[in-house]
Amino acid sequence: MSDLAARLSEQGDDYRVEARERLAILVPQTGSSPDVERRKEILKLAREEGFTHVALELDPDGARFPGS
Amino acid sequence: MRYVSRMDSAELAAARLKEHRLADWLRTQRSVLVGYSGGVDSTYLAVVAREVLGRDRAIAVLGRSASVPNAQSVIAIETARARDIDLRIVSTTEVDDPRYAANPVDRCYFCKAVLWDVLCPMAARLGMATVADGTNADDLTGHRPGAKAADEHQVQSPLALFGLTKAEIRLLSQARSLPTWAQPSAPCLASRIPYGTPVTRERLAQIDRAEQSLRSLGIAGDLRVRHHDDLARIELDAALIDYWLEPQNAQRLVDAVRAAGFRRVALDLRGFRSGSLNVLEGVVAA
Repeated sequence: MSDLAARLSEQGDDYRVEARERLAILVPQTGSSPDVERRKEILKLAREEGFTHVALELDPDGARFPGS
Repeated sequence: MRYVSRMDSAELAAARLKEHRLADWLRTQRSVLVGYSGGVDSTYLAVVAREVLGRDRAIAVLGRSASVPNAQSVIAIETARARDIDLRIVSTTEVDDPRYAANPVDRCYFCKAVLWDVLCPMAARLGMATVADGTNADDLTGHRPGAKAADEHQVQSPLALFGLTKAEIRLLSQARSLPTWAQPSAPCLASRIPYGTPVTRERLAQIDRAEQSLRSLGIAGDLRVRHHDDLARIELDAALIDYWLEPQNAQRLVDAVRAAGFRRVALDLRGFRSGSLNVLEGVVAA
């Protein structure tokens, strides 16, 4: 588990983190989306871990299983 | 509306003073060919040049290529027609230049060099004394390698020369009822591809399709689809993120972008940032 994923998990956010250099792609493991306050906290943690950009993958299951 | 002007009368007066200086400068040039994209700045310059110099001595030239969003070219042509501007259209082939296609951090230099290599001889053939672009005063800061190509070709940047900022150009455009006054900035499609990832016609078309599909969902204002191979990272106005994260709306984003050929779709949690990939690549500070 990446440091960012671990730190998010400590705060109750369950994401797999895919790092592409300074871009963190958050792959949600549950169905909820972060509200504005959670997004601010996620961005803060990501900055502390060296990421400049954070993106939330939408419908990751659809990407893994196209046509499902 | 995102770009509602809040300038007071003193700021408007200052903008108008700069505009007077711009008009005086245009008169001294006698004739001008404007490198025209249909964006906020070059549209304003082309319209003022047309007003000051007349149709025969102010020509706008639109470069069309795979890196220019098709919708923007259509708007540019409509605006020129509505303002009775002598518009010429040329095709440019920067994508075929391997130095451009390799997508280095100074990619814009090679694009602009190709453009001015076409427009400067064209100006000479048409008897236009000066070639000008829409660079504004705000553009003088930041990462702008394209400016070097303009300098090498003696292309003038009168908006920057007289200190006209983007906000002032929007205000003065609004005063002329130009449709561009509230238009979001629209840099070329290659700006959505991370440096080092080759710029291809296929990738550019994929981005154009995705952004057009998202626009058709009603997304106005700033919007970029950043190309990360199989994944599209959508940047939109931060105020819209909550709405588009609602499950049914998120699925509409996904469907629109997948139809353009991306397998994976992600929404940037910070929202739109101008020059976002420059930050990601460390070209400018975060």
